Amino acid sequence: MRGRKKAQRSDFTVVDEVSFVIFFIGLYALVVKRNAIKSIIALVIMETAVILYFIAGGFREGMLPPIGDVLPEQMVDPLPQALMITAIVIGIASTAVALVMYIHLRYKYGTDEWKEVMKKRIEEDG
Amino acid sequence: MIPGHVFVLTPIIFGVLLFLLNSTYAKQSVLAFQLGLVFASFYNFAKLRLLELPLSIECFGGWSRVIGIALKWDLVSAVFVILTTILFFFLFVFDYRSGHANRLFLMLFCTLQGLIIGIFLTHDFFNVFVLYEVSTIIVSILIMFQKDKQSIYDGMLYLLTNLTAMVFFLFGVAILYRMLGVLDFALAKDQMALLSSTRSLILPYAFFLTALSLKTAILPLFSWLPRAHATPSAPSTVSALLSGLFVKNSLYLFFRIRNVFDPFLGITEFFLFLGWLTAFFGALLALSQKDIKLILAYSTVSQLGLITMGLNMDHELAFWGAVYHILNHAVFKSTLFLSAGIITETYGTRDIEKIRGVGRRMPLVAAATILAILGITGAPFFSGSMSKYWIAYGAKDALTTLAFFVANFGTITCFIRYSAILFDPQIHPIPPSPLLPTMQHSTVLVMGFLSLFGGLFARELTIFFFGKQLPLDPLSYLQKGGIFLASLLGGFLVVRTIGQSKVLERIRTLDLSFNDVGMLMFLFFSLSFLYLTVKYAFL
Repeated sequence: MRGRKKAQRSDFTVVDEVSFVIFFIGLYALVVKRNAIKSIIALVIMETAVILYFIAGGFREGMLPPIGDVLPEQMVDPLPQALMITAIVIGIASTAVALVMYIHLRYKYGTDEWKEVMKKRIEEDG
Repeated sequence: MIPGHVFVLTPIIFGVLLFLLNSTYAKQSVLAFQLGLVFASFYNFAKLRLLELPLSIECFGGWSRVIGIALKWDLVSAVFVILTTILFFFLFVFDYRSGHANRLFLMLFCTLQGLIIGIFLTHDFFNVFVLYEVSTIIVSILIMFQKDKQSIYDGMLYLLTNLTAMVFFLFGVAILYRMLGVLDFALAKDQMALLSSTRSLILPYAFFLTALSLKTAILPLFSWLPRAHATPSAPSTVSALLSGLFVKNSLYLFFRIRNVFDPFLGITEFFLFLGWLTAFFGALLALSQKDIKLILAYSTVSQLGLITMGLNMDHELAFWGAVYHILNHAVFKSTLFLSAGIITETYGTRDIEKIRGVGRRMPLVAAATILAILGITGAPFFSGSMSKYWIAYGAKDALTTLAFFVANFGTITCFIRYSAILFDPQIHPIPPSPLLPTMQHSTVLVMGFLSLFGGLFARELTIFFFGKQLPLDPLSYLQKGGIFLASLLGGFLVVRTIGQSKVLERIRTLDLSFNDVGMLMFLFFSLSFLYLTVKYAFL
């Protein structure tokens, strides 16, 4: 039981490092993946990492979620959660727009590799 | 005072209503509404100025400033709100009879107006993120409004690079919030003073700087800008809006956020240098382009670099010069884009080699273009000369002064090349002048004259707007006029000699793919992080 509790605590202190690692995994994918849809996925991964980091910042051992009849002293900081709900909603909207654009890109250029699309775009310029 | 959220929300609600109601009087009502906003912004400015309030902060919904949404009015933000409303009014007048301005377009435009005003007024980090993210989506839809092949790529590149920048920004916000527990600019500054070691601010600051540098198109993160601002099919009002106003949002935020961090972490030398690089290479790239809209877009990059230089000279006069240049640039660059839109429509091409004789075919448009060119190159008595004079005044040493003149020489050279479209070396019979709506003609002409007005009354305007009496020494102003004439001559020679050089051809075809932009963002982030770490290693 004690061991489990200890593990739980250490779980939450490593969240910071984990979110940094996830962020840079996303950035790595952004740099090396040549496919447009993978770039969109990479962007979502980066966003998730930031949301994780933000939410974890509000957590304190033994505090309760800020929902229902909880005294203010007992609850975790509710602001990050409120902010991240906003960020998630905007994230969904922007991902949706990006995916719609992806469909158009794929349809107009017949490929979704960044390099090839760019080549065709430069040819258009003449 | 009229509360700030009215300025943010009414354009958005109005736009949505226009879309839903689909009235036949949509365009008339937009104009009336815009005129109302112009008056409202002047009213607020007058209140601030007459009551001599340094600033007025309002909290949305009655929450405290720590957790609520705060909007701040001070003279600078009030002036930028005036700029936004006036520019939007002109753009709506310009588009009064355009075919593309359907109800969807009007809705997007009005919504964007609300968001831009929101960014000028906002006073906390998270708000910036929200407003920017939404405006990125709207701008990318506006870029690809006609849904043709080229603009899809440009819009997609714009959307993804800018969304990535905003993820960087959000990470900065997250780290800062965890460290300080507040999101408000002023409160954050107070909290930072209590930190035991300011070195912990380096990481969030590096995130912010990367995001803002991409947004302000600082070298090397500028490759999205020309594509987005000069995409062939986008209506010219969209290009004018993006180049004239929307990029100013990020410059504004850049100096707001820098002022929060500045007492603890200084980056001015770093950005003075980057600003110069941007100004120089922006002009070089502008010189190598053939597409007139691309020339204008790259010149925006170059001007943004100049303004960044002015903001980072650690000199009050240079700072106000840069702020004044932001206003001036908004006026003449949108004039140039609007007149370029008319020209490309008439000639059916955007190639600078094929367009000749605009002066004889469309004298009014040519006059507006000339006025704007004189403004942007800094010809004596025009608005650009005054703001550039003040920026140059702040240069601390000879090297900075020289760098500034080299950058301005670049601007002059590429506009000499641009002005070739106005004249016609061979006398061709004049093709019939197109019947253009008088609305478009008069808009560009009025805006062109504004850049003369901004130069003749520069000192009065800066006193009126900012309450700052900026010195003007006639002798050194005359000297700057001499330098202008010398650069003009030099510019002619450069344009003559380079002509069709192979090097320019090579530069013109340089392009960065999305993956390269991601790589550069990572490098820029690491570089600014390293720079700050090394600079503050011994604290």
